[in-house]
Amino acid sequence: MNEIKITAYKCKKCGHIHYPKHERCLKCKGREFEELKPEGNVKLLAYTQQFNLPWGFDERFLIIGIAQFENGIKALGQIKAESLEGIKTGMVLKPSWEPVRYVYGEPVYGLKFEPL
Amino acid sequence: MAVDMELELVLRPPEVPQAPYPAKVITLANGKRMVVREARREEVPTLLKAVHPTLFIHKDYYDIVGARLYSELLGWYTHRTQNEFCLVGQVDGILVGMVNSRMYNAKTGMSLHTLAIDRGLRVGSHLFAAKMEHHIEYLGQDEVLIVAESPIGFRRWMIEYGLEPTDIPHELGGAPSYRLTRELYFATKSRLVVGDRPVPPELLEVAEREIIVADEDLIREKIAGVKGR
Amino acid sequence: MRDVAIIGVGMIPFGRRDEDTLVDMLAYASMHALDDAGLGDKGVDAVYVANMGGGILQHQTAVASALVDRLSLLPAAADTVENGPASGASAVKNGVLAVASGYYDTVLVAGGEKMREVTGWKATDFVATLTHPEVEYPYGVTLPGMAGIFTRLYMEKYGLTREMLVAVAIKNQAMGALNPYAHVEMLITQEGILDSPHSVVNNPAMADPLHLYDACPVSDGAAALILCPLEMAQELTKNVPILVAGFGQATDTHTLQEREDPTDLKAVTLAAQQAFKRANLKPSDIDVAELHDAFTILEIAESEHVGFFKKGEGGKAVLAGKTKLGGQIPINVSGGLKARGHPVGGTGVAQLVDLTWQLRHELPKERQVKNAKTGLSVNFGGFGNNVLCFILKRGGK
Repeated sequence: MNEIKITAYKCKKCGHIHYPKHERCLKCKGREFEELKPEGNVKLLAYTQQFNLPWGFDERFLIIGIAQFENGIKALGQIKAESLEGIKTGMVLKPSWEPVRYVYGEPVYGLKFEPL
Repeated sequence: MAVDMELELVLRPPEVPQAPYPAKVITLANGKRMVVREARREEVPTLLKAVHPTLFIHKDYYDIVGARLYSELLGWYTHRTQNEFCLVGQVDGILVGMVNSRMYNAKTGMSLHTLAIDRGLRVGSHLFAAKMEHHIEYLGQDEVLIVAESPIGFRRWMIEYGLEPTDIPHELGGAPSYRLTRELYFATKSRLVVGDRPVPPELLEVAEREIIVADEDLIREKIAGVKGR
Repeated sequence: MRDVAIIGVGMIPFGRRDEDTLVDMLAYASMHALDDAGLGDKGVDAVYVANMGGGILQHQTAVASALVDRLSLLPAAADTVENGPASGASAVKNGVLAVASGYYDTVLVAGGEKMREVTGWKATDFVATLTHPEVEYPYGVTLPGMAGIFTRLYMEKYGLTREMLVAVAIKNQAMGALNPYAHVEMLITQEGILDSPHSVVNNPAMADPLHLYDACPVSDGAAALILCPLEMAQELTKNVPILVAGFGQATDTHTLQEREDPTDLKAVTLAAQQAFKRANLKPSDIDVAELHDAFTILEIAESEHVGFFKKGEGGKAVLAGKTKLGGQIPINVSGGLKARGHPVGGTGVAQLVDLTWQLRHELPKERQVKNAKTGLSVNFGGFGNNVLCFILKRGGK
């Protein structure tokens, strides 16, 4: 089971969940946070199929999505799919932690989402 | 100069049967209709006039593309190149691009060059696709070997078509070819190859009557729709 | 605080400018502006230069210091301003505050970018550096990608259609064809980019549901303007002074995922509200606008968020012709970023240069908004996480 190596931050005062990190809570300016690890599957909130990729990618396209974990953490990742067929807002996807790009041959790990 | 056919036959390469390319018409982004047809050998002197200015444009590899294309067209014109063809794109008779290629043998095509006005109308993309269409669908070949002078242009094709690398040296300078197979062509055809056939007779008549080589001002006016600046 | 006026403007044609360096372009635009302001043989007190990519693309930093030297404007104060695609408006803001405060009298603001020196893939990567370095950039997300995500959400929420987006592209390219400074000179049709089955090649998907013609080109270019206190304008130049009636600036979350409602461009709304308050005007008072249409969706969304139309109505307004020259609120009469081009650091300055020409009534009939007295610009930084809005008013009699 590969661990999803992201850490979110839940404000101890008002409960607002942050990912990425902020020094102070976006809502109440509180400074104490509880670290949160992502739990469960994700719900897809938004997505696009992106062509004309930046330098460093040799693929013809990437499908990028913003999704929300069962415990509220929202994150961006690459969706594992050959096309947009079957992809829709609100669907449930399985997250994993895998290489999302290669820099000078070295893998850079990140979030991927796969349709169930 | 009178041609001595006895000597000619010594120097002309043997040819394989070569089917013609059926003309098609494409609606461009600006609503204008581009006829894509096979050029006739006797039209080469006109085509050379269009290519000639590029010999002196150093940027974007225009000069080497132009120089090689010029010599290939001459080679075709003088029957010194085997099974070459040239497709032209015309809008109201005005030449907006050309591509050339040849049959290396019955089964393998050797893609040569693409030269197009670059105004965001994707003329180059349309004509390159037409070239591949001819090799695979009308000439019945199984694969086309491709290289390019411009690395940017080539990377775009590589990504768009998913070309396969090979270690076959391309006849244009010997760099390793990339291959478009019949399978790859049909997998990408729906998003890369378009056009309507037959071409309405009045459009085809204008295109076949004359290849008009336009200067920059005429291109701006007739193709871009931009009046004087 | 003193009233601030724009008394000189300059621009160079946008496009692919291989022969010019970044500082060349900034210098040419600046000289046009200095001459226009009657300062061609004089100095200025301060210079602000907007540029996003010099350090990355040209391996050149401290561009303002280079420009001051190139223009022989020593010993003027000089700062380089980098705020992503909103660098231009940020630089103007800094210049306005400098003059309004009384600290400086004459200020040159120049903005420019040289983006075509690198391949399209590298230019895309350069622009993507404004995304979050840990949670966005590594994934290969691009600005078009963010715009694609936004567009799909906008379509789902408001019923926005591709026809509406295409109408923006057609309108702006038609106006660009009339603009001698525009990068893109090509009329396009709905048939060619949407209706025809051949549009799959003419107008391929870029970041679905956005297509190629929904995006501005990658451009080289520069623009410049001269600021001074309104009270000093007449002694320096005969040009109609253009008053900076107000500006606003607001920020939003860096990442798209942390926006409360990702279809709500809060920073645009807030920046515009601040500008209207300062200018003591409301949206219906504006005669002409230059909005940040790096993507066609943004023209529509910004037209709603600044208050020209209700949320969800901007697309219908385009289809009804309300945003073309002669319409209810002409938007991007210059051709916008879509056709004039988007040399990122230069855009915010170029928008104000175009509005100045409008408000001076100096444009040819086919590009002039009749009797324009007030203009508004939106310069959209990041993906809407740092936005500036300016309101200009025709001064003098």
